[in-house]
Amino acid sequence: MKKLFTIVVGALLWVHGTSAQQNTNGKQLFGDISARHIGPAGMSGRINDMEVHPTNSRIIYTGTAGGGVWRSKDGGATFKPIFDEYCQSIGAVTLDPNNPNNVIYVGTGETWTRNSVSIGDGLYKSVDGGSNWKKIGFDKSERIANIIVNPNNSDEIYVAVLGALWSDSEERGVYKSLDGGVTWNKILYVNQKTGAADLAIDPSNPNIIYASMWEFRRTAWGFDSGGENSALYKSVDGGTTWNKIHNGFPEGKLGRLAIAVAPTNPKVLYTVIEAEEEKKKGLYRSNDAGKNWEQLNNDFEITVRPFYFSRIVVDPRDENVVVKGGLSGSISRDGGKTFRNLGFMHSDIHDIAFSIKDSDIMYFGTDGGVYRSWDGGATMEIVENLPLSQFYHISVDDETPYNVYGGLQDNGSWYGPSSSSGGINAGDWNSIGGGDGFRVLKHPKKNIIYSEVYNAEIVWRYDVDKQLVKTVQPLQTKDADKLRFNWNPPMAISNTQPDRFYMGSQYLHKSEDMGDTWEIISPDLTTNDVSKQGQKDSGGLSTDNSGAENYTTIFTIAESPLDEKVIWVGTDDGNVQITQDGGKTWTNTVANIPSLPKNTWCYHIEASTFNSGTAYAVFEGHNSGDMTPYTYKTTDFGKTWTSILTDEVDGFVRNIQEDYVNPDLLFLGTEFGLYITTNGGKNWNKFTNNMPPVALHFIDLQKATNDLVMGTHGRGVIIIDDISPLREINEEIISKDLHFFANAPTVINEKSDFAANFGSETQFVGASKTKDMQFKYHLQKRHTFGKMTLQIQDMSGNVINELGPGKSKGINIVTWDFSKKMPKIAKGKTFTRSGFATHTVAAGSYKVVIKKGKKIYEHPFELVYDENSSLSEEDRKLKNETAEKLHDMTQKLAYMVYEVDELIAKATATNNKKLLTKLTDLKKTLVVTTGDAYVGAAPPELRGKMAALYSKVAATYDKPSTSDLENLEIISENFATAHKDFAKLKKKIKNSEDIELQSFEEFVGNK
Amino acid sequence: MKTVKLFTLLLIMAFALPTQAQTVDEIIDSYFDNIGGLEKLNSLEGMKITAKVSQMGMEFPMEIVRMKDGRTSTSMSIQGQTYNQQTFDGETLWSHNMMTQQPEKMDAELTENFKLSINDFPNEFTNYKDKGYTVELLGKETIDGAETFKVKVIKEPITVDGKQEDDISFYYFDTENFVPIAMSTEVKTGPGKGMVQKISFSDYQEVDGLYFAHSWSIGAEGQPTSVPMTIEKIELNPTVEATSFAFPE
Repeated sequence: MKKLFTIVVGALLWVHGTSAQQNTNGKQLFGDISARHIGPAGMSGRINDMEVHPTNSRIIYTGTAGGGVWRSKDGGATFKPIFDEYCQSIGAVTLDPNNPNNVIYVGTGETWTRNSVSIGDGLYKSVDGGSNWKKIGFDKSERIANIIVNPNNSDEIYVAVLGALWSDSEERGVYKSLDGGVTWNKILYVNQKTGAADLAIDPSNPNIIYASMWEFRRTAWGFDSGGENSALYKSVDGGTTWNKIHNGFPEGKLGRLAIAVAPTNPKVLYTVIEAEEEKKKGLYRSNDAGKNWEQLNNDFEITVRPFYFSRIVVDPRDENVVVKGGLSGSISRDGGKTFRNLGFMHSDIHDIAFSIKDSDIMYFGTDGGVYRSWDGGATMEIVENLPLSQFYHISVDDETPYNVYGGLQDNGSWYGPSSSSGGINAGDWNSIGGGDGFRVLKHPKKNIIYSEVYNAEIVWRYDVDKQLVKTVQPLQTKDADKLRFNWNPPMAISNTQPDRFYMGSQYLHKSEDMGDTWEIISPDLTTNDVSKQGQKDSGGLSTDNSGAENYTTIFTIAESPLDEKVIWVGTDDGNVQITQDGGKTWTNTVANIPSLPKNTWCYHIEASTFNSGTAYAVFEGHNSGDMTPYTYKTTDFGKTWTSILTDEVDGFVRNIQEDYVNPDLLFLGTEFGLYITTNGGKNWNKFTNNMPPVALHFIDLQKATNDLVMGTHGRGVIIIDDISPLREINEEIISKDLHFFANAPTVINEKSDFAANFGSETQFVGASKTKDMQFKYHLQKRHTFGKMTLQIQDMSGNVINELGPGKSKGINIVTWDFSKKMPKIAKGKTFTRSGFATHTVAAGSYKVVIKKGKKIYEHPFELVYDENSSLSEEDRKLKNETAEKLHDMTQKLAYMVYEVDELIAKATATNNKKLLTKLTDLKKTLVVTTGDAYVGAAPPELRGKMAALYSKVAATYDKPSTSDLENLEIISENFATAHKDFAKLKKKIKNSEDIELQSFEEFVGNK
Repeated sequence: MKTVKLFTLLLIMAFALPTQAQTVDEIIDSYFDNIGGLEKLNSLEGMKITAKVSQMGMEFPMEIVRMKDGRTSTSMSIQGQTYNQQTFDGETLWSHNMMTQQPEKMDAELTENFKLSINDFPNEFTNYKDKGYTVELLGKETIDGAETFKVKVIKEPITVDGKQEDDISFYYFDTENFVPIAMSTEVKTGPGKGMVQKISFSDYQEVDGLYFAHSWSIGAEGQPTSVPMTIEKIELNPTVEATSFAFPE
């Protein structure tokens, strides 16, 4: 029986283990290792949906294309994320109008179907205002366009599923639930290619529903909008029966249609029609609830890119005020006859919401974040704390602090510091290219940056110091065909030749002079399948030749860091090519890869730093509807490849990063976040500490700091500081009660600076890396019962400081600012502002001592001074001694004041007026006895002067100045005099020893 | 074929085991039992907590007195001077202004919200049904690397900047010993508005037959640093002076 039970349990673990363990394993291992987000938010990201609370005008929601759901509770001044544990690609956010404080629905999967969109994974519901979420179905829906709750019945819900973008799917159309989302019925379905693109309800009669169905399909090389099956439907019986309402519509095929009902007059409907005939495209209005339609306008803003801009919103207070999303967005105040562009803001407006109180107040969702308007859409103000930036790629340099470089969807190319005084704000980022930005690389030796736009139409080489910009993209020559560059064109630099610069079209281009001269060093490395080269005809009913669908191109280039003759190239149509002779001969190794469907996009190749024959290749087939993760490793130049994934990994893979020290430590970027293996791929743990499951496009590991830097497509740059403890992780360490991770000799930080914080009330500010020392240890079990303390001690066991220990199972991090414990300071009438100083300890050997119940764990470490410091050993000695002296004197003064206070108490009790006067007079010279802590402050007495000097000496990097020492002399003298006076006074007091006083040690220790 | 059926049945049974786990009342009852019993908790008249809050070498001693009748005093010592924060005498909620050192009354909204929390002595969960609270087990969650039961508590609605809102908090009970090791709640006002505050509890130790967490770590979700509060002493049913709560007129 026991044996059988073991088998059963084993089977269970096997069957259910992966899903159950995925998150918990990561959380139990990574502990305090947490990601920090550095934005940028100045260049925010694409917004899919705006939603206002129906009764509280302060509350606004936004569903973002790649950065989750955010909510404002202050009328749009600031937003906070509320959906960070779930899919970050959002189609629609809806509140139950009957219970808007608690019930929220989030439909995942963005619906403005550009080439770079991510995918959703279903419909979520919260019944507690967004604190907790539950998925309630539609796992295969990929994108949800609308959710509508019957305003009279919370249980009745309609969902418009747009569905899969790159493949057939039956999970499309309009669905209805009658039980609050527990069960669903498909109430409108056309076919596997046609999804529900928009949905509207008559607020006065919730049985009347309008649904637009859209036939559409995207491939890696083209987009097709429109067909016989696109149509606008109406139901008057709650979705049981549907009829097309096309009276007045153009003939022929239709594309994406929008639908809106005027809230003040539900007979008035607006639709935007994508049609075959140019003249018949545009805005149509019906005044009889869809019986008849009349075309009113076909201006550019109304007809532009229907797949991207197809939203109409009617003013909730005026049926004749209509707003349409678009390149600039436009507004009509005459019922749709004429339109004016919206006020200047980031282009590409996807959604609009009016405040429930006042139509002058509007909110806009764009490709560059959320905007507010206070004057009816004329003037725009950006929301500054939405770090939704969508990176295609990032890279880092070796400065201190290092910079992060990268290109953004529709928001140019940028670089910014990984740490900055007061945190990393919008102003810390520097523009290095416009348009859509993609890859950005820093020259390894010179202050030169390469950046680019789509299809390598421009490749910039920017000399930062001289402020000289040059364009260096490879151009067609008589020896080669027309060059085909990807939308996101690859570039690479060499590990050995700093001026070498690679770019990939269908050929590999190499330059030895930073792009001035180019040489093609390969044949066409793609499949060169001409049937997939129809970019110029892409779009369907509305031609959309943006270059986004350029295909059969090189996508990734990697020169081996160990051998410059070994170069890897991966193509978007699934080739993995290698040369071992610097480009003379090429071998396509893709046929050696097991279980990989043909033509699966090779998204990244990582050439190993351990062995020139070793590389990792990741593939993803999402734009043929294949969401399987693929990652392979070769150790023999591609002759054989082995999959290194387990089914713990969810989401298709775009990137992998190898550690520089431990070859078994790998970082995997998927569409749903970060996975880490510490054993070469035998197990993968999802990393979830402050790391949303956002589409992770590129990972880099900064060598000097061991920081893992991630370019996400929706949450900007996210950094995990110092991953080095993960190099040590193994079974033995995990099974120990407590294991300290190594601390290399640590340089005491003596740097400090100033930080401005203009605007930080409402702006996103990314956290900088700590400059403090960190102790890291792994606990086998969470500490819950009994006492646990952590002290810094010198090697003789004297306590330097006490810190709050981490108590989590997994890796704990405790931070220390190199300071000694704050001295106990004398009690006065008020506090002295200088009295909060601590001084930095001297370099040398120390230890961390953790007491956990009866067990003691010790971890020695070394502190050293910065080699570049200007201070001599003698200077150091003087500095430390002076600080120590002031520290001690401060505490002695505190004790003296304590004694005086006790005697004053006695004198008061015994009504000894003479003595009381003498003691009070003495006290007045020691501490302030009047005034307050602000502008009523009394002039400083000995305590204030002493604290001021201690604070000055402790805060500076430098040795004490002559003036400091002279000041110290007088303070010491004054203190000595006070001491003498007090001693004399004490002698005169009869029975002064009767007073029960704490000893100095007790007094100082017992703060 | 028979073996397969048996195997499937066992599979289903084994899988069903975790679902027939605890009800929220079982968790709360076990919690009370494990920390010393509900009866003992209910008999408490007041508590005096001596603690220190530390941040990078700085230490601020604190004293918190909480009485069953709602009287509360929270004081912090800075350079030997005592500053009262959120002190309540049954009618008035007041704090010392740090600049002038003078007592000031807290605003009406804060005071009313504070009054709603009086019945949370000694604990949110004691007699929660009588208080009209809703308590719900949401499932399991990993907190501080440990497996916990996530329990949601809805208390009396509070007023936030003029608007009424539900007062929701979440407690995470260690599945091993049923004591809360963390709680989280949304910050309703001030600069952190909208952020989620998280407090971790540890170092449970006995005081006269009742166990209390003697270490709190106060942080916010998404923020790397937290502030530790170490409780040095807890005195049950302390003797108190009425004047220590009263607003000094």
